[in-house]
Amino acid sequence: MGLIARIIESAGISTVCIISLKPIAEQVRPPRTLYLAWPFGHPLGEPGHRAQQLTVLHAALHSLYFAEPGEILEPGWRWRRETYTVPPGWE
Amino acid sequence: MTDDWRNRSLKDLYRLTGQIFSQIPALARLWGSAYRALNFDSVPFTPLRKPLNECRLALVTTGGVHRRDQPPFDMVDPRGDPTYRRIPVDTPLAELTITHDYYDHTDAEADLNILFPLELAQSLVRRGLIGSLATSYSFMGHIEPPHLETLLRQTAPEVAMFLKQEQVDAVLLTPA
Repeated sequence: MGLIARIIESAGISTVCIISLKPIAEQVRPPRTLYLAWPFGHPLGEPGHRAQQLTVLHAALHSLYFAEPGEILEPGWRWRRETYTVPPGWE
Repeated sequence: MTDDWRNRSLKDLYRLTGQIFSQIPALARLWGSAYRALNFDSVPFTPLRKPLNECRLALVTTGGVHRRDQPPFDMVDPRGDPTYRRIPVDTPLAELTITHDYYDHTDAEADLNILFPLELAQSLVRRGLIGSLATSYSFMGHIEPPHLETLLRQTAPEVAMFLKQEQVDAVLLTPA
């Protein structure tokens, strides 16, 4: 997926990847990465959990404005052990 | 005969490890740290200069998502399928499904937003928080040579070109 991001970014479009395996991103170096150590198949979290999903989406989209080239952002949110509120402005 | 046997064994192995990794993320991370991916020193970079409420966004996933009326991804070839599916902006979630045997997508089928947040993005556009949405694209992850070359030289550049034609400013990529 990071390889696809690199190709899209090279075409002049800003990209951000959500990933669950950091070592692969460290090798492939996608332009911007949000790393969440969550199970496969759950990049935005748990089914039906809107506040969590919007929190991840908000973090990913806003990283487009401040992440450095190749940066891997690590919010450190633990799987099923965090409380989420809908991001300000997105209520 | 031998090839058939090899392909079947590989697919069984991928299916099994994919299911185990879906359940036990720590094991997946261990596998990830041993995985040899393509290695790059440089990073392509395009700064985003528009505010989000003026941006045209597209989603790209490698989770094997496709419309029910589109051909499913090829799960017969253990080296993967480098093709992609176009997902039009207004596709209702009920028309989408997932073909990808190498991870547990039970939860994603219950709520596709956890993998492919099309509905969330549609609602953010309606509320004026994101400028607009463009056609999204879906691939299947787990692509090995020789299909990897097809992905890198043909199908991914094609998608990049279509995104550019639709004047997309930003792309969110989500994995399986």
